[in-house]
Amino acid sequence: MLSYRPGSTVAHRLDPRSKLLFQFGLAIAAVAHPTLPWLVGTTAFALCALAAARLSPLAVLRSYRIVLAVLALAPFVAGVALGPPWFRVDPALRSALHVGRILPVLLVSAAYLTSTPVRDTRAAVQRLIPGKPGQILGIGMALVVRLFPLVLADVREVRDAIHARGGEARPLWDRARLLAVRSLERTLDRSDRLSVALRARCFAWNPTLPPLAFDRRDYPVLAVGIALAVSPLVSV
Amino acid sequence: MIEVSDLRYRYGDVDVLDGVTLSIPDGQYCLLVGPNGSGKTTLVRHLNALLTPDAGTVTVDGTDVTDDPVVARTRIGMVFQHPRDQFVAATVAADVAFGPENLGLDRAEIDRRVDTALDAVDLGDAAESRIDALSGGEQARVAIAGALAMEPDYLVLDEPLVGLDWPARQSVLDHLDALAADGTGVIVVTHDLRDLHERADRLVALHEGQVVLDVPPAEALDTLPDLGIRDPRC
Repeated sequence: MLSYRPGSTVAHRLDPRSKLLFQFGLAIAAVAHPTLPWLVGTTAFALCALAAARLSPLAVLRSYRIVLAVLALAPFVAGVALGPPWFRVDPALRSALHVGRILPVLLVSAAYLTSTPVRDTRAAVQRLIPGKPGQILGIGMALVVRLFPLVLADVREVRDAIHARGGEARPLWDRARLLAVRSLERTLDRSDRLSVALRARCFAWNPTLPPLAFDRRDYPVLAVGIALAVSPLVSV
Repeated sequence: MIEVSDLRYRYGDVDVLDGVTLSIPDGQYCLLVGPNGSGKTTLVRHLNALLTPDAGTVTVDGTDVTDDPVVARTRIGMVFQHPRDQFVAATVAADVAFGPENLGLDRAEIDRRVDTALDAVDLGDAAESRIDALSGGEQARVAIAGALAMEPDYLVLDEPLVGLDWPARQSVLDHLDALAADGTGVIVVTHDLRDLHERADRLVALHEGQVVLDVPPAEALDTLPDLGIRDPRC
């Protein structure tokens, strides 16, 4: 789900630099303002981003279900007390508000990933950050975006193979160990093969990058991104 | 002309290539066969300068590939056994463009090469498709297009038919025939000669790192079982 899908939505037609700046600004605003109005505001912006990429919020939340389950633990742990009343609402709510700030960032990231080809991301990063640091960051991001779905597919395959041979009968710890070790081995194998394939195709640190150009539809996105990014300064 | 001269390579204590000498002229359709562990993949990785020999040389038109790997990799296109592992982009056109982009070509030339390569494997209509959504046979053809976009003189394919069903095999083989007819040298690494032996000009068999047979395929068929390779007529 969270990988590039060809399309012609508004999000697809935006310059990747605008989208990166918007994400950056939204992340800063979300982290800098731990209040309910800002949480509502940044979530509204994130929902607009999903609409621009024509993504269903429910489908995106489903894709993040494991991350959300982990995040949901934080308010629970914060609210648990060792004596009566055993669960306190105030700290749980405070924690939920803090954790909730991550949600709009995840939603905007989903809109970005599904609407931006990997090489456009690389081109945007290399144009925004000149020189070797930009090249390293650009290729690093491109490889992570490319490899992550493959690694997830490998983990699922290993899990299914364990189940297919009655692995449920083994203790949880044993299954977790098998899954972790085998998945890591496959990831390393896959990385090795990708590395050889990159060399065979003349991998270059500074290849011809796709042309990028801002147009009219980018300006409002850039303006919102910048406004969000500087909002902590204005609030002070 | 690819010339391999007294090539030697060891993994640990094992001589994987033990004095291989071979010449492959331009435009030849050559099968490189041998049982598992005979050194086939190791040999073709030397052609592409992905491995450095312990001794001996590999030259392409007189240029030592170790001295100039970029020449080797532009003249000799390589398609690996597991196409899925060599894709670097999510969509077909973006992946095929990867090699030409690395050569620093201008955008118009990159687009021309991508279009030509995709047309050569009948995937012109799939340029914007997601690679993950393609069948195994189509993915194999995308991998071939990725190599063709470098406009190589030779195409080396390592076990290109593994895991493909019959229609997909035929599709890949037909495209290789077309490339060979256009003058591209085709080198297929395989241990399964079904559908291949009648197409190729030459068969080179490796056994324990040495060339033990170098003849037209028809002359090799009776000898193959002795080398641990199934007779494709059976």
